[in-house]
Amino acid sequence: MTTTGTEPGSDPDAVDDRRSDDRPPDDDAVLAAAQVSAATSLGGAPAGVKVRRSVDDRLVEVGLYVGSILLALLLSAGLVMAVGGSPTAVFSALLDGSVRSPGAWGLTITTMAPLLLVAGGTIVATRAGLVNIGQEGQVLVGAAFAAYLAVRLPGPGPVVLVAALVFAAVGGAVWAGIAAGMRAWRSVPEVLTTLLLTFVAFGLITYGLRQRWLIGDRDTSRQGRVNTGEQIPFDTRLPDLRIFGNAIDSGAIIALGVAALLAWMMARTFLGARIDVVGLNRRAAQRFGISEKPLSAMLLIGSGALAGVGGSVLLLGAASGDRMTIGFSGNFGWEGLLVALLARNRVLLAIPMAFVFAALRTGSSFLAATGVDRKMTDVVQALLVLALLLPPALMFIRDRRRAMAATGGGG
Amino acid sequence: MDLINALGVLLSSEALYISAFQLGVLFVFAGAGEWVAERAGTLNISVEGMLLAGAFGAVLGYHLTGAIAVALITGCVGGFLVALVQAEMSHRLTANQFVVGLALNVLVLGLTAFLASEIGFGPARAGVVRIPLLVDIPLVGVALFGRPWPAYAVYLLVPFLWWLVFRTRWGLEVRSVGENPQSADVSGIPVNARRRQAILLTGLACGYGGAFFVLGQVGVFQFGMINGRGFIAIAAVIFGGWTLRGTVIGAVLFGVVEAMTIATSVKGYRVDPFILDAAPYVVALTVVMVFAARVRQPRALAQPFVRGLT
Amino acid sequence: MTTHATADAAVPTDVPAVRVRGLVKRYGAVTACDGIDIDLRPGEIHGVLGENGAGKSTLMKVLIGLVLPDQGRVEVRGRPVVIDDPQEAAELGIGMVHQHFSLVNELRVWENVVLGERRRLDAGAARRRVRTIAEHHGLDVDPDARVEDLTAGQRQRVEIVKCLRRDPEIVIFDEPTSVLTPQESEHLFRVLRVAVERDGRAVALVSHKLDEILRATDTVTILRRGRVVGSSLTDDTDARTLAQAMVGRPVSLRSEAGALGVVADPIDTERPPDAVPGGAPDAVSAGPAPALRVTGARSVRGDGKVVLDGIDLDVHAGEIVGVAGVEGNGQTELVEVLSSLRRLDAGTVEVDGRPVDTGRAGAMGAARVGVIPEDRHDAGCVLDLSVAQNLHLGRLAAGRPLGRLDHDRMRAAAERLIDEYDISCAGPDAPFRSLSGGNQQRAVLARELTADPLVLVASQPTHGLDVGAIEFMSERLRAAAASGVAVLLVSSELEEILHLSDRIVVMFAGRIVGEMRRDDADFERIGLLMAGAAA
Repeated sequence: MTTTGTEPGSDPDAVDDRRSDDRPPDDDAVLAAAQVSAATSLGGAPAGVKVRRSVDDRLVEVGLYVGSILLALLLSAGLVMAVGGSPTAVFSALLDGSVRSPGAWGLTITTMAPLLLVAGGTIVATRAGLVNIGQEGQVLVGAAFAAYLAVRLPGPGPVVLVAALVFAAVGGAVWAGIAAGMRAWRSVPEVLTTLLLTFVAFGLITYGLRQRWLIGDRDTSRQGRVNTGEQIPFDTRLPDLRIFGNAIDSGAIIALGVAALLAWMMARTFLGARIDVVGLNRRAAQRFGISEKPLSAMLLIGSGALAGVGGSVLLLGAASGDRMTIGFSGNFGWEGLLVALLARNRVLLAIPMAFVFAALRTGSSFLAATGVDRKMTDVVQALLVLALLLPPALMFIRDRRRAMAATGGGG
Repeated sequence: MDLINALGVLLSSEALYISAFQLGVLFVFAGAGEWVAERAGTLNISVEGMLLAGAFGAVLGYHLTGAIAVALITGCVGGFLVALVQAEMSHRLTANQFVVGLALNVLVLGLTAFLASEIGFGPARAGVVRIPLLVDIPLVGVALFGRPWPAYAVYLLVPFLWWLVFRTRWGLEVRSVGENPQSADVSGIPVNARRRQAILLTGLACGYGGAFFVLGQVGVFQFGMINGRGFIAIAAVIFGGWTLRGTVIGAVLFGVVEAMTIATSVKGYRVDPFILDAAPYVVALTVVMVFAARVRQPRALAQPFVRGLT
Repeated sequence: MTTHATADAAVPTDVPAVRVRGLVKRYGAVTACDGIDIDLRPGEIHGVLGENGAGKSTLMKVLIGLVLPDQGRVEVRGRPVVIDDPQEAAELGIGMVHQHFSLVNELRVWENVVLGERRRLDAGAARRRVRTIAEHHGLDVDPDARVEDLTAGQRQRVEIVKCLRRDPEIVIFDEPTSVLTPQESEHLFRVLRVAVERDGRAVALVSHKLDEILRATDTVTILRRGRVVGSSLTDDTDARTLAQAMVGRPVSLRSEAGALGVVADPIDTERPPDAVPGGAPDAVSAGPAPALRVTGARSVRGDGKVVLDGIDLDVHAGEIVGVAGVEGNGQTELVEVLSSLRRLDAGTVEVDGRPVDTGRAGAMGAARVGVIPEDRHDAGCVLDLSVAQNLHLGRLAAGRPLGRLDHDRMRAAAERLIDEYDISCAGPDAPFRSLSGGNQQRAVLARELTADPLVLVASQPTHGLDVGAIEFMSERLRAAAASGVAVLLVSSELEEILHLSDRIVVMFAGRIVGEMRRDDADFERIGLLMAGAAA
């Protein structure tokens, strides 16, 4: 997270941010971004101040959450029934797969790790008003970087392991860095570039898997080695921890550690406060001496790096297979992003959210017995996301109405 | 020299123009549709989902009735439904437009895959209609005038959208809510209603585009068959500097680029097909990098409107 | 085009066009309108006078359908009505010329004029209509111009045409002169005369400026705290009576001239006792290097328009320099430069003799330039952070990135400032958004003054404040100057400039077109300079 791509303090383009706002035409006013940028970024609620609500409002809010989750589940159940499945059987299978069967919750926590890493970086970037939605590609590139080093670097396993994790961070950072650079120098919206880069990553990594000099399998004797990577040596994998008969990947420790660190950073450090200022009011940030472009570039790169680490944890840990394949990232990037959104940009809230998503994922492996396609869990996830968007939106409208009633609409 | 030769061979192949036109139709429908939503102030990233829902709706309609015309309509309905959710959630319930778009893309991907695997669709292909005389133009005749008949709607779409946005009151209001929603509101224009309507129009256009893609190009529904092309359509809007003409040029350009990558592998040049898959996206990135800073976007693009909150 | 309006002119004027009785509107605990009665008559300009928060704007919003009253009766032409949206108001023949926010800059004039209508779009007819209305009222408007290319005065003419195109019988003007030069204001008042006398419309002129109410209206209603506290024919009253009614206590027309919108005669101006001229003009010219020196400042907007065109400006320690001018002549951009929000394309800014890198984040703040911005929500505060954090924005940028943020100390410091500046809020942790406008402005002032500035830039510092708050602000600015701060006051309210400044410069089209000492300044001359006439 050290390369920012711009020289801090002497950024000649600082005066040319073309983001739109509703002010008079002054395109080259420094950081002419509207102070409602928080509302346009991915974050729902403003991050800086917790809105205090009365007990009644709290109840209403909780009720809304329960109601909309129920709605999502009902829709899902309806869908299951429509294709002739049994919702209770599906639910039971999901529970079995995620927590009830032996060793299941260990696997779920293991699966949670990459999601949490992706979400953590995303949250910090989003708090600064950035819209990074290319995590899937960043995860994939990170994993590919780790895969390269893990099988090529000679040396003792643990050293190679650490090197591979770091290299994965570099990979994710480079991938997000392209978007960061284009944003800083050419004012290209990162919402588009991060996305397009994901599709470039798909092509490039698949190409890499077909080349033996890159990350393709060099073991010519193995059957069906086309389009897959080399097996990761056992001693460069992330070790497991055994707790109550569950194997938990040490990647989970990394993820939880990173989450704690990020939560501390956002709440207790100058950097965290600056990130919030930039995300909430860019022009105020500029006026008070916080350079938006280098900071944003750094955060975009940082969130890419964490997604990259997420990819390497996926590769080197127990959450997926032991080698790279086409489509290796398996939606971990998208889901990590959704976790960040649902956690409403609070790092600590991302932990339970990541667990729920991981549980849906591990649970879905038990769906085959019910005769319902695994894709069903994707549908459930997306419905949950849409459902969880409703309560804050409805509360916002309600607060707005009250505020309007209290101030006469600002005039 | 080899490269120039190869390019020469590519450019003199009728197949290139045919697939460029076919893909161009998809990109024009998606790009021009998206352009309307963006002129109204929504950076609508659920184009991807709208296209896929359109493709799914079309095969479903064909599966049920066996009529291409019905399939086109159900395709439009598919895109429209996605647009309806996007519009209601982002411009009535004030949920974040990007989040809604992302979630919709995931939802449509999962839902269509799930339903397609449950139903099991057969092939669905629209018949070719050759326009006499014009089809005999060398090299590009068949590409432009010997296409599956639903493709010809593209010749109507562009002038229609131009008329709608620049010559009607609705269009004037759409442009005003994309530039300055506060002023539009004070002038008595229902800002969020116009934005919702613009998104619905995008949904219809994308639905048709997706339907054409499956009926006129691929011929069968495949999982995730849109594969990021919706985002390329967004790049086409940026490339076009939020003008209709530019957007259409961008869409055609991206069609040509993708067609060239297909033609390259068909002609047997030794380039890995997977690296070619990345080519349209690389071109899109390059293009937005060159153009994004030069053009003026709608002033209120991606800014939600809530009365009294500025 | 004036069919029913002229018909109504024949109706005896004792049937009001609008009659409001017992209007009550509460917002939570605040009662904005508390039983207001008012009659607007055809053929009459009715002044509605009151300070900010007196209930003027709520009353007008009720009439144009933006706000529904809690109680009371509204009659239009003797018929009781419920106006629940702007469209309804338009159909009843009520139109409003908005102060801000009604034109779309990117559209052409004729497109703006027909925006909000329901009929089919017909460009040719719309252009002709714009020309007809403009000619009839003596307004010079080009239907094909893009609004973004127009000056503030021209935009207002477009607003007026847009309002009159529906031929409303009742026209409400909301603070119409705030964007005009004195001469343009006179022209506007003539247009209003045409509207009432020739077309028989009823005009309401909403204002907080005594002078223009006295000059332009036939009758006047004074509001204070949501109640009507006075109503009479304009000819039967005078400035002193109006001022007293408006503020609710005896006021000095002289010391509060700026706040009341009256121009004190410069010949017999004696300085108010509290304005210690730490930098009386004489002391200034003999002083050392100026605290703020702007040389050859030039800035070009993205679309190629030159917004600052070679500004030279010195402000000395202890001096208040007023920058007069109609909005949109480069003042905003000048303040942006001094807020590190805009990089100069040419020219320099020196503070205390040292050059400052314009456009670099925080550079002006580091050079000890404080700013009270025109729109505090723009770059003056972060609404969704707490009061304490907002009072320490400068410091948030200064610490080591991973250094520990001491919330307790910030809170304690904030509490002291809340006391000292009498900021009414729920405490240092309250969201800044929850503060009223006046208290937000106090907090901004507190932050800027405690940073111990060499230069204080105050841009429209009293905009939207009531008389009490304006006085507080004026006193603080004077005290700051007295303690040796160089104060640059940017305001489009000439009265405020004349009231506070030691020296006055006038901006027009990105240039400084005139400079004079307060004692040499007069309304007429500044007005001509503001309009770009060579003086």
